Amino acid sequence: MNLRKYITLTRAGMMESLHFRTSAFVTILGNMIYLVIIYYLWKAIYASTGTGIVNGMTFEATMIYLVLATALFYFMEMYLVWNMGRDIQSGGIVLKLIRPMSFKKYMFFSCSGSFVMSFFMTFVPTALIVYFVTNGAIYLGSNLLFFIISVIFGLLINFYVDFFVGTICLYTESVWGINIMKEVVVLLLSGASIPLAFFPESLRNVVMVLPFQAIYNTPLNLLIRHNLNNFDRITMIGIQLFWVVILSIITSLFWKKAVRQITVNGG
Amino acid sequence: MNKKGLRFYMRIYKKILAQDLKSKLSYRADFVISSIGMIFTNISAFITLWILFQNFPTVMGWNYHEMLFLYGFSLIALTPVQCFFDNNWSLRYYVFSGDFIKYCFRPINIFFYYISEVFDIKGVGQFLFGIGTLIYSWQKLEMGMSVLIFIKLIFALVTASLFMVALMNVAAATCFWLMGTGYIMVTAFKFKDYAKYPITIFNTVFRFVFTFIIPIAFIAYYPSLVFLRPDEIPILTWISPLIGVLFFYISYKIWMKGAISYDGTGS
Repeated sequence: MNLRKYITLTRAGMMESLHFRTSAFVTILGNMIYLVIIYYLWKAIYASTGTGIVNGMTFEATMIYLVLATALFYFMEMYLVWNMGRDIQSGGIVLKLIRPMSFKKYMFFSCSGSFVMSFFMTFVPTALIVYFVTNGAIYLGSNLLFFIISVIFGLLINFYVDFFVGTICLYTESVWGINIMKEVVVLLLSGASIPLAFFPESLRNVVMVLPFQAIYNTPLNLLIRHNLNNFDRITMIGIQLFWVVILSIITSLFWKKAVRQITVNGG
Repeated sequence: MNKKGLRFYMRIYKKILAQDLKSKLSYRADFVISSIGMIFTNISAFITLWILFQNFPTVMGWNYHEMLFLYGFSLIALTPVQCFFDNNWSLRYYVFSGDFIKYCFRPINIFFYYISEVFDIKGVGQFLFGIGTLIYSWQKLEMGMSVLIFIKLIFALVTASLFMVALMNVAAATCFWLMGTGYIMVTAFKFKDYAKYPITIFNTVFRFVFTFIIPIAFIAYYPSLVFLRPDEIPILTWISPLIGVLFFYISYKIWMKGAISYDGTGS
C-alpha cells in the first residue's frame, strides 16, 4: 500500500478546513450557547432531585460527559452523507470512482484532514478547559492511551455508519431525509444527548448491543471513569474492534452491490 | 411597488404554490423519506424528554406533561418557518450564483416572491405530531377547552411562530454580505430545539439573552403561560404579539436591505 497518496489527501483536507475560519468561529459560538443551555437544564434537573447523585452520576460527572460528548461529536462530524449524496445527484461521483484507490478509502482520507484539524482545534482545547475548570477530574495516565485508540475506532465506526447511510442514497437519491434519520438515531442511541446511565434498564440493554454506543460512549468512559481495570478497558476496545471489522465488511459488500445502481445523466 | 393589495398577493401566492407542489410531486419518494425523517426527529426529541422524566419527576416545578405541552406547542409554532419560509435555506446559493437577480426584476415585493416560491411539505408531518402531543398533554393536564381558549391558543401560536421566522430571515440575509453562511443558518436553526425549555431554568443574564436577543423564549414558554400558569401571566406574554411583529419587521427590513443592494454577479 502506497501511503503517500493517502497522506496527500489528508494534507489537502487540513488546508481546506483552515480556509473556513469564520464558519469554525460561528460553529464554536453556537456550541457554547448549546453548552450553556444544557448546563442550566441539568443544573435545574439536579436541583429538583435534592440528592447530588442520580444513577451513579454527579452533576459534575454528567456535565463533563456531555461537554466532551459534544466536542467529540463536532470532531467526528464529516458531512459524509451530504457529500456522497451531492456527488450522486450531480453525477460527480464518477470522477471519484475512477481514481486509483477504492471509493471508500478515498472518502475516508479526504475527511481525515478535517479530523486532524478539528481534533486539535476543538476537542483538545475543550478537554483542557474541562481539566482546568474541574481541577483535574480527568486524570492523566494510561487511560489517555486507551482513549486515543478508542477514539480512532470510534471514528472508524462513525465513518462506516455514515458510509453505509450514504450508500443508501444510491437507491433513494434523497439525501435530506436519510441524513436526518441517521443523525437523530446516532445522537440518541450513542448517548451523546443523554448519558446512557440515565436510560431505563431495558432500553439500555438494547442500546449496548448496537454499534452506536461505541462511537462516543466508549471513548468517553475510557477517559473519564476511574474505576476501570485494564481487563474492562481491553474488553471495551475489543467490542469496538469487533464493530469496526463487521461494519467494514458490511459496508464493502453493500457498496459493491449498490454501485451498480448508479445512473449518471450525461456529465 | 408595495402598493398592491392583499388580495392580489393571495392570488399570486396560490399560483406560485401550485407550481411548486406540482414539481414536488414528481419526487414522491423524496417527499415520503423526508417526512419520515422529520417524524424521526420529533420522536427522538420526545424519547429524550421521556428518558429525562424517567429519572426526575419534575424540573423546576414543571412536570412531564407540562414539558410535553411546551414541546408540542413549540412544534406547531415552528411549522410556519418550516413550511412557508424554507426557501431561505437556498438564498445563499441564489445570491452566490447570481440567479437571485431574477427576483429583483419582478413587479412585486422581492421578499414575498422569493419566499412564496417554495412550500415545504415535510413540515406537515411535524405539524401533525405537534398537534398530537399538544392534545395528549392537554388531556393529561385536565385543562378545559372553550371557544375563548381556542381563539387564545390560535392567537398565541401565530404570535409564537413569528419569532423563529424572524430569526431565520436574519440568518439567511447574512449571505448578502458574507460568504459561505450555511453555518449561520444551521446554528440559528438549532436554537429552535431549545425553545421547549422553560426560561426559568436560566440565570438572569441568559433569561435576558433568550428573551430579547435570541428570542426563543417566545416560541413556547411565554405564550404557554397563558394556559399552564393562568394566574401568573407576566407582562411579556401580553406584549409578545407586539414584540413578534417588531422582530419580524426588523428581520424583513434587514432582508430587504440586502436584497435591494444586491447587484448580481454580472452574468
